[in-house]
Amino acid sequence: MATQPQAATKTETDETADEKIQQLRKLFADAPEVGKRALENVLQRLASDASKAPPPPVESAGRVGSRLGKVSELTIIVPFAPGGAERLRAFLRLFGGNLAGADDVGSVHDMRFVFLDNDTRMLFATAYDGDWDAYIDDFATKIPDFLDIIDSAWDGWPGIRSPEAKDYLAKYQVTAEGWYVANDLTVAETRRLARVGKALEEFLDKIS
Amino acid sequence: MTTQPQTDTKPEQANTAEQKIQQLRELYADAPELGRVAMENGLPDLTREMAAATETQNAGRKGARQGRVSEFTIIVPFAEGGAKRLRGLLQLLGGNFKGADRVGTVHDMRFVFLDNDTKLLFATAYDDEWDPYIDDFATKIPNALDLLFCNTEGYPGIHSPSIKDWLVKHQTAAEAWYVASPNLTVADTRRLERVGKALEEFLDKIS
Repeated sequence: MATQPQAATKTETDETADEKIQQLRKLFADAPEVGKRALENVLQRLASDASKAPPPPVESAGRVGSRLGKVSELTIIVPFAPGGAERLRAFLRLFGGNLAGADDVGSVHDMRFVFLDNDTRMLFATAYDGDWDAYIDDFATKIPDFLDIIDSAWDGWPGIRSPEAKDYLAKYQVTAEGWYVANDLTVAETRRLARVGKALEEFLDKIS
Repeated sequence: MTTQPQTDTKPEQANTAEQKIQQLRELYADAPELGRVAMENGLPDLTREMAAATETQNAGRKGARQGRVSEFTIIVPFAEGGAKRLRGLLQLLGGNFKGADRVGTVHDMRFVFLDNDTKLLFATAYDDEWDPYIDDFATKIPNALDLLFCNTEGYPGIHSPSIKDWLVKHQTAAEAWYVASPNLTVADTRRLERVGKALEEFLDKIS
């Protein structure tokens, strides 16, 4: 147990990388041919990636869900209430499929509504800022009616003001096992940068 | 048919908005109580928004789009042993994909295991059009893609001529799609980040 010198961190990293590659080979031993070939093709790159500084780890977004840096994911699949799919589809179409009301929440990067399995289930998937609890609270505070109009299409939805709302959401949420975000910026930071960029352009125009 | 004067477009639009409100009320007449209440409470806001709403555009072959940002949502059954392999792979990567940085057009993406590990949900937000997006993956990180999706049933391989048909077959277009900053591509945001940083340094220097 104490045979490994503590100072030899570099060797340890290399060993871990080697071990990981070993594990990957084992994992893909019974993969389809296309997968096995792809693994051999990327192993070199994986090895060099592994010896470099590792990317920031994917963490938990709080109660449920994954988080990378500042941005978290919420993925929920819920059964429709009777008549719910029809109602929600018609509702969404009246808005041309656009949900600009979410601008008011201010912490939502993107969100989608997808009808599954012959309109018996609905997928709601979103990318948002920070922590699960705060995010749900934001919706409940800022656009509660909007939320209830949509979620009343769900089977058993207790209402956003109900003390059971969070349990309901957590019950149907599925945490992503892989999560990638290109830019580690909150919605507000991105908007501020967009304003800065515009102001700078105007400034440069003026002095040119 | 010709009773309505052709120039009179304004009353027609107002009429449409009113009709929409009427439709909303009718639609929610048989909704659960809390849905009906929410509808009544929300009507003023909803009316405003319906007037302002621009249509969700199309991402090309399939999927919704807002401004420069499109959505791709696909659910595929796992191949035998595929769920176990993919989970193992994702865990070894720490759930992270720095490789996607190389594609340069992916805002976010997630892998979610559904229905007792029998199906994979892959959902992403990306820049612009469907066809160039798939081509980007095929050109820039073909092996990574094959590694991930070889675990799903019937995956033909990214270099196969049937790959696009296979993807479309399993893709479901979103009925609604929201993007906070629809006018910014991944590259735009990265450029803005650099601009913001440069500006700060500049202001620091002259202060």
